[in-house]
Amino acid sequence: MSPPRRHRATPGAFPSPAIARDRPRLRPAPPTGRGPGEPAGAVATGSELWLAIHLPHYVLESLRLRAASESTAGHVPGAATVVVDVEDGGKVVCACDGEAAEAGIVRGMALNSALALLPGLSVLAREIPRERALLEVVATCAGDFTPRVALESPDGVLLEVRGSLELFGGVRGLVARVRERLQSAGVEPQIAIAPTPLASLWFARAGQEVALRRADQLAGRLAPLPLAVTRWPERSLQLLVTMGVRNLGDCQRLPRDGFARRFEPRLLAMLDRAAGRRPDPRAAFRAGERFATRRDLEPELADTQRLETAIGPLLEELCVFLRQRGRGVQVLELRFLHRMAPVTRLRLRFVEPVGEARRIAVMLHERLAHVVLPEPVRTVRLASGSLVELRAAPTELFVTDRRGSGAAVPQLVERLRARLGVEAVYGLYLVAEHRPESAWRVAEPAGDILLFPVPLPTRAGEARSGKKRMSPVLEKENVPVPRPLWLLAEPRPLAGSDQPRYEGALEFEEGPECIESGWWDGKDIARDYYIARNAAGVRLWVFRERRRRGDAGGRTCSWFLHGVFG
Amino acid sequence: MSSFDDLLRHPGLWRAREQAFAAAESSARPTGYAALDRCLPGGGWPRQGLIEILTDRCGIGELSLLMPALAAFCCDAEDGSGNSGGWLTWVSPPYQPYAPALVAAGIDVRRVLVVRAAPPAEWAMEQALRSEACSVVLGWATSRDRQGLRRLQLASEQSRCMAVLFRNLADGDEPSPAVLRIALAAGPGGLEVRILKSRGGRPATVRLGWLDAAAQAAAH
Repeated sequence: MSPPRRHRATPGAFPSPAIARDRPRLRPAPPTGRGPGEPAGAVATGSELWLAIHLPHYVLESLRLRAASESTAGHVPGAATVVVDVEDGGKVVCACDGEAAEAGIVRGMALNSALALLPGLSVLAREIPRERALLEVVATCAGDFTPRVALESPDGVLLEVRGSLELFGGVRGLVARVRERLQSAGVEPQIAIAPTPLASLWFARAGQEVALRRADQLAGRLAPLPLAVTRWPERSLQLLVTMGVRNLGDCQRLPRDGFARRFEPRLLAMLDRAAGRRPDPRAAFRAGERFATRRDLEPELADTQRLETAIGPLLEELCVFLRQRGRGVQVLELRFLHRMAPVTRLRLRFVEPVGEARRIAVMLHERLAHVVLPEPVRTVRLASGSLVELRAAPTELFVTDRRGSGAAVPQLVERLRARLGVEAVYGLYLVAEHRPESAWRVAEPAGDILLFPVPLPTRAGEARSGKKRMSPVLEKENVPVPRPLWLLAEPRPLAGSDQPRYEGALEFEEGPECIESGWWDGKDIARDYYIARNAAGVRLWVFRERRRRGDAGGRTCSWFLHGVFG
Repeated sequence: MSSFDDLLRHPGLWRAREQAFAAAESSARPTGYAALDRCLPGGGWPRQGLIEILTDRCGIGELSLLMPALAAFCCDAEDGSGNSGGWLTWVSPPYQPYAPALVAAGIDVRRVLVVRAAPPAEWAMEQALRSEACSVVLGWATSRDRQGLRRLQLASEQSRCMAVLFRNLADGDEPSPAVLRIALAAGPGGLEVRILKSRGGRPATVRLGWLDAAAQAAAH
């Protein structure tokens, strides 16, 4: 008898018939076909180890976090609690605690049905910002264990813990410490550890608190997980179920190219990332640190000058805080608490991040001068906005003059705006437009404006385009068309119908230059511009309307003053 | 400590700081109008100190008179060699400074700051002068505050920044701490520039033709 035929086990060649038999076939597997889960050029995952924290009850916990600190309307301590969300105009339960679940309340149930089951139900409204805040609290806690923390909205936090294992007594010790820390913060986590972020997250979501340390075990251990942990779109999941794919293992056995074609490429990429075949970089979470302090004033202060002196130490404190972190603030808020009157708020905004007390004090001085206090101030609270990177001031050996660098401009703008208002201080910006009033725009000064090279209208250009006519007297090419240094905000009508007058009769020097443009935005103009000089020697830019929409042409032309040459 | 001070007094030692400023102060800034340069001490606008320009009405050429010097400031900035590439600040101008015309006159509009100050404009001017951000500050006076003028003059001297204040011709009779006072009037066939006061120079009258900022820039 001949020996039984052996299948050649070449990686990447035909899969063995044993596997092929029970594989749901999307199409006949091509010779090079590989399942999405089979090796396709291993990408080294490095030696990372990820700990995933999944918060199954985050909706409820986020609201409890607040309920602990302040009383919430509608919340009765000790009673069964549900959280409702508004869906399709009706209130629907989106989370419930254990007690409510025992009574038969499930997610997606209408609030009325839930109340029918359990009349004494305590009902809370869902608050998305609270949920985000909870996640940040968890991430901040996680920061105690590793510097590399990433958020996985809405209910996951990832920690890279390879370097932390030894310090916290191995995997077991670390998990216990993390759990203890989170429980004290009021959340009940599901924790899993795996070599890739996605795999650890999927284990945590599935409630399997595994601690995998080796990447080669990953594919095998991921296989039994239900597909729901991936949070793929509902449509894709249903399609997979109808194909008989029930868990990740089934999914990994599907041919890659077919899978990529039928589903979004994103899904295949996720499988690869989970198995460590593709790098999965994560954006690091930065704790949203802020500064907040208060000072009770004894005696109460009624005048702003003494108030300013009292705030001085708070600013010093703030600046020490900032200096230690090497960061700055762009927004500060001061609150003055009174005995009866509502709180007076003062918001300081800076053009660039600041970190010096002197500079903040200057701004404060300007702003406080305008503050009217309804009552004496009992307490001052100072709170910073989020901290931002401080731009280092450029210093040079031979620079004795800071003007060239423009470093002092933001400060100047800030100081002027503090007293005169934001709109009163601005820069200029050139716009490529034929209409004189649209050829410039107000710009943010010292903001790094990109100034595109805008060609100025020249006489040569006009002659070519044929759009405008110039008097034949001035035929110097490539000389910019004269424009006045001053422009009036609104053209001013001039007296005199045939011969315009402005502080005396006008004598024309140049013109007409016809500008006809802007039909596309409803502000179209058709004007003949002239340069004229009056008896006092003032050079003016005047124009005559050529036509108006709806005019039969019989209307007398009106003259306007639009600019002064200065 | 005293030996260190002695060392600094040594004639063979110089400090970089002093050298830089000595170079900057060496001469005046040409006005761009040869006839006017001849009548001004140093041959141009003074590098520092308040300049007053008095006119009876806005628009007879007071800006065009300044434009060549302002454009020269912007050229310095582009060279990267000079350290005077500061900003050009306009405090409470009577009309909107028109960007296309400024560009045509050779001014870098990215470094222009317009301040619509509530009167008095002198406060904003002084802030701009003392900020170490500006090379030139142009202001349109709204008050006749002598104290304010003195502060401006002082701020301009200390910050080594060119300060130009436009005032009404009627204020010409009043004494002023300005380094240079010029009255402009329309004469027959052109602008008449009367130098009323000039530190280190003498009063004079110069007749210029009608000024055209763009043509001046094109000619250079």
